[in-house]
Amino acid sequence: MKFTKLKTTCAAIALMLGLVGNSALAADLRVGVEGAYPPFSWKEADGTLKGFDIEIAEAVCNELGRKCVLVEQDWDGMIPALLARKFDVIIASMSITEERKKRVDFTSKYYNTPAKFVAKKGSGLEISKAGLKGKRIGLQRGTTHQCFMEKMYPEAELVLYGTQEEVFQDLAIGRIDAQFSDSIAADDGFLKTDAGKDFEFTGGDQHDEACHGPGAGMAVRKADTELRDELNRAIKAIRANGTYQKINAKYFEYDIFGG
Amino acid sequence: MDLILEYQAQLLSGTWVTIRLALISLVIAVMFGLLGAWAKLSKNFVAQKTAAAYTTIVRGVPDLVLILLVFYGGQQLVNSFGAMTGMWDYVEISQFAAGAGTIGIVFGGYMTETFRGAILAIPRGQIEAGIACGMNRFTIFRRIIWPQMVRYALPGFSNNWLVQIKSTALVSVIGLQDVVYNGFVAGRSTRQLFTFMFAVLMIYLVLTAISDVGLRWLDRKYSKGIVRTDHG
Repeated sequence: MKFTKLKTTCAAIALMLGLVGNSALAADLRVGVEGAYPPFSWKEADGTLKGFDIEIAEAVCNELGRKCVLVEQDWDGMIPALLARKFDVIIASMSITEERKKRVDFTSKYYNTPAKFVAKKGSGLEISKAGLKGKRIGLQRGTTHQCFMEKMYPEAELVLYGTQEEVFQDLAIGRIDAQFSDSIAADDGFLKTDAGKDFEFTGGDQHDEACHGPGAGMAVRKADTELRDELNRAIKAIRANGTYQKINAKYFEYDIFGG
Repeated sequence: MDLILEYQAQLLSGTWVTIRLALISLVIAVMFGLLGAWAKLSKNFVAQKTAAAYTTIVRGVPDLVLILLVFYGGQQLVNSFGAMTGMWDYVEISQFAAGAGTIGIVFGGYMTETFRGAILAIPRGQIEAGIACGMNRFTIFRRIIWPQMVRYALPGFSNNWLVQIKSTALVSVIGLQDVVYNGFVAGRSTRQLFTFMFAVLMIYLVLTAISDVGLRWLDRKYSKGIVRTDHG
């Protein structure tokens, strides 16, 4: 009896504190997305979310027979929000890395695109330890690209930004010598735009297995192994039934699933 | 410009969140400020020390750190407590409650000092005169302390408010869709970050200009019967 009373009191306090009851047991799958990483995810003027990640999320939910509830989340707080159970899975172009695996569980990859440098046309920037020495290289902090640069080219001066968009902004106005990022994000987000018309890829594909890992995966809390297995099954299924290829063709000229 | 019009619904809904957040956190800040000032000036040892600890902590820690701590740390605490006692599976701390509460409590610390200074500026003799006239404590507060405290506190209060209205931008980190968050997302989605940052800047300017008008009205109201002279 006493316990019940305590329960009621606590529930009342929780309500007063503005905590809104929301059971995670509902059949809806709450998906954490970024909404600010075109062409993988962005927001339309009417507030709807669009992009490759968003459509993959919908396709996966469809496959699982659950309703997708998209939860927008700033990149910096993505993993903390997953752990705090604000949503159940991250589908936000998050690369599978050893570092992140310490805190979350990943599905197998759902795409893998190479990383590349972008510099001004004819800059003559040489991608080597000597060529990058003292050069200012911009990149998004907390990404696999930061890991790669710190490991492979510690001689370069890294300039870190909160978002990829800021990196492009500073590259365009000349505050950095080059930028290093996912090739698709750079191609679509910068090179194909007006601001990026004087810039080009330089130095070819960059890859380091330890840093870049196998590609982008969906992240779940470590305890949710069942959900992870279901998601893996769904990724396989949409690859097999052609849904993936249909979505892929809308955004990219080649299959970004990778080898 | 076309883009801003296209995304105007996003910007407006963000502005509305910012306004609500600023006003609600202001109410919380004023409540904590009055309570803190009372505690700091009281003769009660526990109240004094509690208030001192409160202002030291909230004024000494970056607002952003506190917001993140409440939102993510608080959520994990609530979850673990629920799991431990078996009372709930998942209760969500809303972003709005975490943001408004934290900003309100932080700025309550600054308000405490502003109000305390203002109360101290009231000549002691006036309060003694009130006691001599047989006024009870509430009457003294209502008729002697409050009107003068407001007047003395207004310059500091105005500063606090302007800083506070801008601090609401911090909540965009926890994903609350205020004007800054929506501006950034629209800017990145359309790859026109500057255009939207400029729009956000103008919105903040309008908001602070409007509050300026309100604050000047308060200043006039509470300065009734006071003559401003050239030598102060």
